[in-house]
Amino acid sequence: MKLPEQVTRLGIVIAVIVAVVLLLRFVILPESLFSARPHQAAAAEREMAKPLRHAGVAVCRECHEEQFELKYGGKHRTIGCENCHGPAASHAADENAAKPPLPREREACLACHGYDSSRPNGFPQVDPLEHRPRKKCVTCHDPHDPVPPKAPTECTGCHGRIEHTKAMSTHALLPCASCHAVDAQHMTEPRLALPTKPDSREVCGRCHVPGATDPAASKVSVDMAAHGGTYVCWECHYAHLPEGRK
Amino acid sequence: MGFIYPNKSTWAILIVVYPYLTGIVAGAFILASLVKVFNVVEVQPIYRLALLTALSFMLVAGMPLQLHLGHPERAYEIFFTPQPTSAMAMFGFVYLWYLLGILLIEIWFEYRQQLVLMARQSRGLLKGIYSALSLFSKDLSPEALAFDHKASKLITIIGIPSAFLLHGYVGFIFGSVKANPWWGSVLMPIVFLMSAIVSGIAMVMFLYILLSLVRNEKLDMRCLDKIGLFLLVAIIVDFVLEALDYIHRLYQSEESIGILTQLVSSKLFLSLVVVQLLLGMLLPLVVLVLVRSVRFNEELRKLLYFTTSLLILLGIFSMRWNVVIGGQLYSKSLRGLMAYKMEITGIESLLTALALLALPFIILAVLYRLLPPRWMESHSPTGIDRPTGVLT
Ligand code: HEC
Ligand code: HEC
Ligand code: HEC
Ligand code: HEC
Ligand code: HEC
Ligand code: HEC
Ligand code: HEC
Ligand code: HEC
Repeated sequence: MKLPEQVTRLGIVIAVIVAVVLLLRFVILPESLFSARPHQAAAAEREMAKPLRHAGVAVCRECHEEQFELKYGGKHRTIGCENCHGPAASHAADENAAKPPLPREREACLACHGYDSSRPNGFPQVDPLEHRPRKKCVTCHDPHDPVPPKAPTECTGCHGRIEHTKAMSTHALLPCASCHAVDAQHMTEPRLALPTKPDSREVCGRCHVPGATDPAASKVSVDMAAHGGTYVCWECHYAHLPEGRK
Repeated sequence: MGFIYPNKSTWAILIVVYPYLTGIVAGAFILASLVKVFNVVEVQPIYRLALLTALSFMLVAGMPLQLHLGHPERAYEIFFTPQPTSAMAMFGFVYLWYLLGILLIEIWFEYRQQLVLMARQSRGLLKGIYSALSLFSKDLSPEALAFDHKASKLITIIGIPSAFLLHGYVGFIFGSVKANPWWGSVLMPIVFLMSAIVSGIAMVMFLYILLSLVRNEKLDMRCLDKIGLFLLVAIIVDFVLEALDYIHRLYQSEESIGILTQLVSSKLFLSLVVVQLLLGMLLPLVVLVLVRSVRFNEELRKLLYFTTSLLILLGIFSMRWNVVIGGQLYSKSLRGLMAYKMEITGIESLLTALALLALPFIILAVLYRLLPPRWMESHSPTGIDRPTGVLT
């Protein structure tokens, strides 16, 4: 039987495709695509031809010894400078040509520290909505030595204005504790354990009645029954600056 | 540094689009093959439409993968460095075989006579295009036409298992992930295949009605009713298979059942229970049964078929979503649910997905102009016999 005309034509097309494939496979495409060794060599060559964008910590150290030492002693020891500051080879080559950015936004830290249940146990994580929301992390944590800041041990650490006001007043010598009972937890998680505040005239009367027995009692006394009517004393005297008049 | 210890969805919406498109290809082809291989005369009017549909969707089916992997210029390496131990790598060959070995050749034999005639009757650039498409063949002798006919029948016979392979393979890739209890199931390839057939038939039905509206052509109701019947059967089989899969999981009650139940009743409730099951399967099932048992008039039947096909297409898209995204919505340690946030713009985003879903229709519109399926009816010169209309 004679081969129909269309089969010949289709056959030619298929033959051309096969020929192109064979040509590609054995002539045009480099051998490195098919066998491991030349492939690796070619890959290495290809990668080496790319421009260097990272300089590496050792280079940064030459000029930024201070940051290096700081970081090396801290928990961010294993994080390369350029992990946070971005590729900086051009800066290292000419420090004035380009300055690496300073990643001060919260997102920069949250990429690694934002809470994610799949991170390994013990990796320090914070919930961005709860952990000092909206404040930049670097205001409290040094990015190069990120110890959690120590909680202040004095009331001044957080109530500086009150402390300073009181220090100028006739109540200067009174410790805060004489009017406020403070739980230790207030020093680290202040809002979770609020101290007490004076709640009656007798708290002041302790020191201001005539013949008060409190060792810190004042020489100045008032008649508790008459002075100030039935109002609490701090309606008229600011307790942290009592001689001031409201 | 954003990639420190990730455990998130890596397959996004493009991987949902991909099985959806291949499913339609396989389904449309299988519908077409009913004409050639099983001599279902009624469906003859949509034979060429089904083939062109399969081709349009096939041309786009690989694109989501290319975009997802991000290096389309390296795609050819899949073929030059075959990796027989990787199911995903071998899929390239299945795809290529189906496109070049089956679909294009079948369409060529089917259209050769028309191409030769069109080349003769047109001039200028078009003449060039048609001659080139016909590979400059000229022979319209009865023997040659008979050969075309036999060849396309033979190719369809090889094509059916190939179409099964094409989409069964997609199911296989998911079903063989034994570490993921939502995917790892031997039923997966068959479930995918059946749903592919459902979506392909629905797509051709939808296009057939749509084209008749747009082009103001008369619909062949016998053909439409027959497609409806096939659709009904396919949905029933699909439903039974999927139900079997779920019942089996529930009865086996493996350790994953807790988290999967939680998944289905929360994150997937809308897309699985409401859209896939109720709107995309049970409602069409009821409607199709009604259409067969009650004597509705033609217009109403048309309307019902049209909405049903749309619902089914939506339902099957949901099914792909539930498999692909659903399988990544719980932690692999089965400890809790996770989230998938779809991007709106960007490479793997909603917009890209919509563009990819629209592209096949644009290609189809071009193909439909270039190779009008009904050209022969009006242009065939007398004396030349029309083997496509004659069923042997
Ligand atoms: C050749 C010396 C040199 C090297 C090497 C070098 N720097 Fe610098 N760097 C400088 C100088 C000088 C400045 C400017 C200091 C100033 O303006 O106060 C600077 C500034 C910076 C700043 C601050 C920019 C700013 O806006 O304040 C950063 C961050 C920085 N360097 C990071 C790096 C990193 C990371 C590397 C390693 C890849 C590196 N540097 C290597 C010399 C160097
Ligand atoms: C965890 C991220 C991180 C790493 C790692 C890091 N930096 Fe920084 N660096 C910062 C941030 C954030 C600032 C801005 C601090 C601020 O403005 O208070 C900064 C500021 C600087 C500055 C400006 C001067 C200063 O100290 O504020 C220099 C210089 C600098 N870094 C150099 C380096 C070098 C060199 C290294 C590697 C040895 C390094 N950094 C590693 C985050 C990092
Ligand atoms: C590339 C990831 C990465 C980035 C970015 C990063 N860190 Fe870290 N951080 C670490 C690692 C790793 C540790 C050490 C964890 C350990 O010791 O197990 C650490 C430790 C810490 C600690 C110490 C916690 C402790 O328990 O002592 C603090 C605080 C911290 N980082 C704050 C920050 C801040 C603030 C920033 C943003 C300027 C930042 N980190 C950016 C990876 C990162
Ligand atoms: C207002 C100051 C402040 C700010 C702003 C702040 N932190 Fe802290 N951070 C602390 C204090 C105080 C602690 C220790 C006590 C505690 O855990 O609250 C701490 C602890 C941490 C720890 C250690 C947690 C652990 O479990 O070991 C990490 C990590 C940390 N912070 C990261 C961040 C990051 C990231 C940001 C920015 C998104 C940030 N911090 C912002 C004050 C701050
Ligand atoms: C770590 C910071 C911090 C330290 C240290 C601290 N406080 Fe506070 N204190 C707070 C904050 C924050 C509040 C709540 C302010 C607010 O709610 O507006 C507060 C509130 C108070 C209040 C008012 C409670 C109320 O009901 O309104 C008193 C009284 C007080 N502190 C006393 C003290 C005394 C006394 C000390 C020292 C022993 C002290 N605090 C140390 C942060 C601190
Ligand atoms: C003589 C008693 C007294 C002493 C000592 C004292 N307070 Fe107060 N403090 C008060 C009274 C009274 C109030 C007001 C209570 C009220 O308004 O309900 C107050 C209120 C406060 C408040 C609430 C905010 C405000 O300004 O109203 C803070 C914070 C506070 N004191 C901190 C301190 C700190 C810190 C010290 C030590 C440096 C201190 N107080 C010492 C009596 C005292
Ligand atoms: C622990 C004892 C103590 C308590 C409690 C106390 N004070 Fe005083 N107060 C003093 C001392 C001491 C002086 C300083 C005057 C002096 O040298 O005696 C003083 C001075 C004053 C003065 C100024 C007197 C002048 O010289 O003008 C006023 C007003 C005052 N206190 C009001 C109050 C009020 C209001 C309260 C309650 C909120 C209060 N005090 C609670 C010990 C106390
Ligand atoms: C209605 C407002 C008011 C109230 C309430 C009030 N004071 Fe006074 N207090 C004054 C005024 C006004 C003076 C100044 C009188 C003067 O300079 O003669 C004063 C003076 C004082 C003095 C100084 C007396 C002197 O001899 O210099 C003391 C001590 C004092 N008050 C304690 C208290 C105490 C304790 C309470 C609560 C029991 C209290 N005050 C409640 C208005 C008030």
